[in-house]
Amino acid sequence: MGKPQKISLKEAANLIQDGDFISFSGFTIWRRPMALIYEMVRQGKKDLHLFEVNGGTHTEVLAGAGAIKMWESCWVGHELYGKLGEGVARGQVEGTILVEDYSHGQMVARLLAGAFGLPFFPTALSMGTDILNPKFDMLGKAGLRDGSNPKIPLKKYDAIKDPMYDMGEILLMPAANPDWALIYASQVGDEGTVRVFSQTYVDPEVIKAADKVIVLAEEIVPDSYLRQEPEKNIATGYAIDYVVECPYGAHPTGSQFFYDVDADFIRQFYTASKSKEAYDKWAEEWIFGVSSHEEYLEKLGVDRLTKLKANSVVGYSTTVKRGTR
Amino acid sequence: MTAQKEYAKEYKGIDLLAVAAAREVIDGDIVFAGTGLPMLAIMLAQLSDAPNAVCIYEAGSIDGRPIDLPTSVGDSRCAYQASMAAGLTETFYGQLHCGYVDLAFLGGAEIDQYGNVNTTVVGDYAAPQKRFTGSGGNPDINSLAKRTVFIMVQEKRRFKENVDYITSPGWRLPKWPSGEIVPKKELYGKYYKGGPSAVITNMGVFRFDEDGLMYLDTVHPGFTPEQVKENCSFDLNISRCKGETEPPSVHEIELLYTKVDPEGIFLP
Repeated sequence: MGKPQKISLKEAANLIQDGDFISFSGFTIWRRPMALIYEMVRQGKKDLHLFEVNGGTHTEVLAGAGAIKMWESCWVGHELYGKLGEGVARGQVEGTILVEDYSHGQMVARLLAGAFGLPFFPTALSMGTDILNPKFDMLGKAGLRDGSNPKIPLKKYDAIKDPMYDMGEILLMPAANPDWALIYASQVGDEGTVRVFSQTYVDPEVIKAADKVIVLAEEIVPDSYLRQEPEKNIATGYAIDYVVECPYGAHPTGSQFFYDVDADFIRQFYTASKSKEAYDKWAEEWIFGVSSHEEYLEKLGVDRLTKLKANSVVGYSTTVKRGTR
Repeated sequence: MTAQKEYAKEYKGIDLLAVAAAREVIDGDIVFAGTGLPMLAIMLAQLSDAPNAVCIYEAGSIDGRPIDLPTSVGDSRCAYQASMAAGLTETFYGQLHCGYVDLAFLGGAEIDQYGNVNTTVVGDYAAPQKRFTGSGGNPDINSLAKRTVFIMVQEKRRFKENVDYITSPGWRLPKWPSGEIVPKKELYGKYYKGGPSAVITNMGVFRFDEDGLMYLDTVHPGFTPEQVKENCSFDLNISRCKGETEPPSVHEIELLYTKVDPEGIFLP
């Protein structure tokens, strides 16, 4: 409790242990804690168990590095800039990543239960799909639902007959309480109040569901400023354990009102992600070839970052070239 | 409008796809749209025949009024002038689960004759040959929207007797844990609101009959119903085909290229 501790990026990555159960802020290619992901790869983290409503470029950076052992989610890709999650796909096909699929709405239900301190959350979403096929309970098939791992529920899901209003059968989704929420946020106050600009995705739920929270802040600002409009804030300081001040910490993913998605960077990464050899070459250049986030930004260069810079009125870059015209 | 519609003499396949999809929107619909062609369709509909249609993107924006085309549903552009910039709890539960959504625009890799869609794997899920992106919000939105329109590529290997994995629910579904196949209405019970209403491909527009079976409704100019049938693995009913799909008008093409996607993001 109390104020979060301000630490460095290297210290933050160092807190995460091999095998930890982790979730993230953001949505596909927006507001992902990329600088921390790179540092985790630099430090050689492995056997991670990921829980995410959807994956994105950050997932694929970890997958390519061989850092993921289990992935509970429902989607991975880079939107328009890379149509598949090649690293996760390769891991699932080759059997090196244990994949458990749900749907978006079901993953949100699991997070809501975790965030509210409930054992499960009911939902009627995605009934009658193969997500619920008992043959495809992959963690169960791997013998992991025996209660020995307190972070893995005894069942993938359950269904009950509504006892209150006789609405018929409804699904129960088990709570998820990750060890860590790795969050990138637009602004963090000096007492730890968190604000994100524009869509909130599932950031507030991920923060509440996790045991410990690390926030990469684009800016650290006076808490008194954030307290002038408390309705815009998504978390209070006592929910946050560590803060890292990290400008451009979400690159190449986008951050509303700070910078746009770096489409070219993600396209190049996507191409590299299609084979282990190409990924390793890419990682040698962009992760291991730079010793710090500052060096990474220097390598990107001022021209590139200027083009991505968001227009302060509309919230995204109006100068970056996006299409063919 | 009383003036005679002037049809475009030249247009691309993707233009017709966007226009045909836009025509599925009824003015006033609350629409839940995915990335890509669904965005073109809803924006074109709002600029033409459905100015009062509202768009929800699952990442959290509700009734945004983008002045620049978003490239993904989480894009900051989606939230420009939105009535709410919220998150997934709001879109999936506060909007969808509680029953506001009239129309869903979605995509898919494979579809079967009952409108079950696969966006997850090729082959047996437990030992797949290939993985696609995965479900995302596709099955949730399709579960509880009153109508769903799928926009897809027409290929024999994509229009299958049975999909390898049911990611998104069609009109006949397995009831777990037994796997007994039952109509969607029976499975969803009091939560039932509707289901797949149309599939639009580069070759035609498909709808579903009283038993939830897909049939060819209209064929796009330049194709025959037989050609469409040849591009399906199941025995497609072409007996109800009522003729050619209405081509895009000059006005619709102009809107698409000057207002919806002037940068050439989805329309090359």
